Amino acid sequence: MFLEQLTGNLIQGIVLGAVYGMATMGLSLIFGVLKVVNVGHGAFIMVGAFVTLWLFNALGINPILAVPVAFAVGMGLGFIFYYTTMQRLIKAPELATLLATFSIGILLEELVKLTFGSEFRGYNWVVGKIDIGVTVLPMSKLYACIGSVIIALLLYLWFNKTRAGSAVRSVVEDSEGARVCGVNVGGAYALSFALGIGLTVASGVLLTMFIPVGINPYMGGGYTLKAFVIAVLGGLSSPYGAFFGGLAFGLIENGSYTLFALIPGVEPFALTRFLSFVMLLAILLIKPTGLLSTK
Amino acid sequence: MKKEITKYYPLIPVFTAYLFLFLVGKNISGMWQLVAMLLFYCAMGQAFNIFLGMTGYVDFGYVAFMGVGTYGMALAITNLAHIEGLGIGIIIIGFILALLMSTLLSMAVGAVALRLRGAYFAIATIGVNEGFRFLIEGARIWNGSEGLIFTAQLNQILGREAASSLMTYWADIMVLFIAALAAFVTLFYMRSKIGYALTALREDEDAAKVMGINVTKYKITAFITSACFAGLVGATSWALKTPYVFPPEVFEIHYTIEAIIIVLLGGAGTLLGPVVGGLIYGISKYYLSIFMPGFQLLIFAPIIIIIIVLFPEGVVGMLKSRTKGSVLARFII
Repeated sequence: MFLEQLTGNLIQGIVLGAVYGMATMGLSLIFGVLKVVNVGHGAFIMVGAFVTLWLFNALGINPILAVPVAFAVGMGLGFIFYYTTMQRLIKAPELATLLATFSIGILLEELVKLTFGSEFRGYNWVVGKIDIGVTVLPMSKLYACIGSVIIALLLYLWFNKTRAGSAVRSVVEDSEGARVCGVNVGGAYALSFALGIGLTVASGVLLTMFIPVGINPYMGGGYTLKAFVIAVLGGLSSPYGAFFGGLAFGLIENGSYTLFALIPGVEPFALTRFLSFVMLLAILLIKPTGLLSTK
Repeated sequence: MKKEITKYYPLIPVFTAYLFLFLVGKNISGMWQLVAMLLFYCAMGQAFNIFLGMTGYVDFGYVAFMGVGTYGMALAITNLAHIEGLGIGIIIIGFILALLMSTLLSMAVGAVALRLRGAYFAIATIGVNEGFRFLIEGARIWNGSEGLIFTAQLNQILGREAASSLMTYWADIMVLFIAALAAFVTLFYMRSKIGYALTALREDEDAAKVMGINVTKYKITAFITSACFAGLVGATSWALKTPYVFPPEVFEIHYTIEAIIIVLLGGAGTLLGPVVGGLIYGISKYYLSIFMPGFQLLIFAPIIIIIIVLFPEGVVGMLKSRTKGSVLARFII
């Protein structure tokens, strides 16, 4: 009985983990290329959630179709914030970029609150569910999982098969060398930042499939912390590492929840959050380059 | 001897500002509430500046130290209230407990996080406050998410009259003294070996290490000192002023951000900075909340971005470079 429940929860964990992973790829991409930690990461996920909500409730557009829209919105925001703020801070001390991205996050939260209000909202997308014996998976979650895998693959192809992708890779390797070879380094920075934000906003769409009634301007904070744990699991600077880190994190989160629920007199949900914080510290202490990296 | 005294000249503007605040609050009716808030912001900024300003490391989990300080005071009052004749002594025990708990937490966090640098340090600390909050709520330590309420105990020990004057007046005076003490310690650090070591570290940590400076030792000293003052501020401004403590409130990352804004606005690593930053931030927040309630963050977020991009030195930083070489330079650091 318990094993069945655990297996069921772990399967749910993989499905959620794939989406977590995709939601962290943007963070790792931006850190990998620009060496900037986007502390306002969660706020961009929140923007994606509101794009979905608005498209669904106001225009009746299917959340799957909201993914490209959210991606475009994110790219736009990314370019705006890059050229107005980040560009001037690339060479500044970390303090500056950390605070700038944090403030951008607050700005987005407050703007969304001003437009939509601060109450919890949601939408109701009925697509049925699938029973796999140990657990019941809603189709919407399954779509989100598949969508995440497809996006991760597309990013991989973009990096390895296109000119712009190899330009970004060359900047990561050696920005001076890339400049000498005629790569537009500034452009590569801008593109990576925008792409990272675009991926993050798009992931917000997929995450709403897991929290259909939990959409709120301040929903991002929890995701920021989770994204850091996942990014650190995957080595912080590798988007693919982040994807697998997400899978691992989803498994750990759901598995530990099932185990904590066995202890009487505790709040298992809060303990899971505590565990993710302990994991973050432990990984940073033992292997700051990430558990999944070979370096 | 004379040299010893001139060393402490920069404290004059800081203490003058605090004295001025006290006099304004005491003599102009209706101002005490604003003054109390400003004192809180100055004290928080002054405490945070010891670490953020002097090392350049960003600790996003800073508020956790204020949180455990609040719990220290709360636990002392709730657990010792039944002992007869403790009187005001219970508050002293509360302060000791607050100091102890913030020291222990900062040692635990520091042992892990201070091995890391720059972005990695910031990431390691960003979860400290949330992590601690979820530990308290999840494992139901110290009454878990229900928190602790100890108004009754405070009334019982000190009497209704004294307890109310403690909450509305004496607690603020204590915050004033904590802020002043933090300023003194900041200057003491600046003028001693640790200050020079930390300046070297802020400029180039590797070079400092190569020069034989034990950077880890000084980083930890600054970290623990800063955390202790944060614990004291929490114990007074939160536990004594409002005798209750709820985990989501005292571990709210919002306060870390306020502290960072104050330090940055005034000028990171300067002595006068947190005072100037605290006053500017506190006054504008107070009037914004009256005239434009609910819009403070919307207004502050772009302001921080503008400060970072255009005035990374802060107000006092700019003042410092303006007054260089003049008589004033001796008073402003």
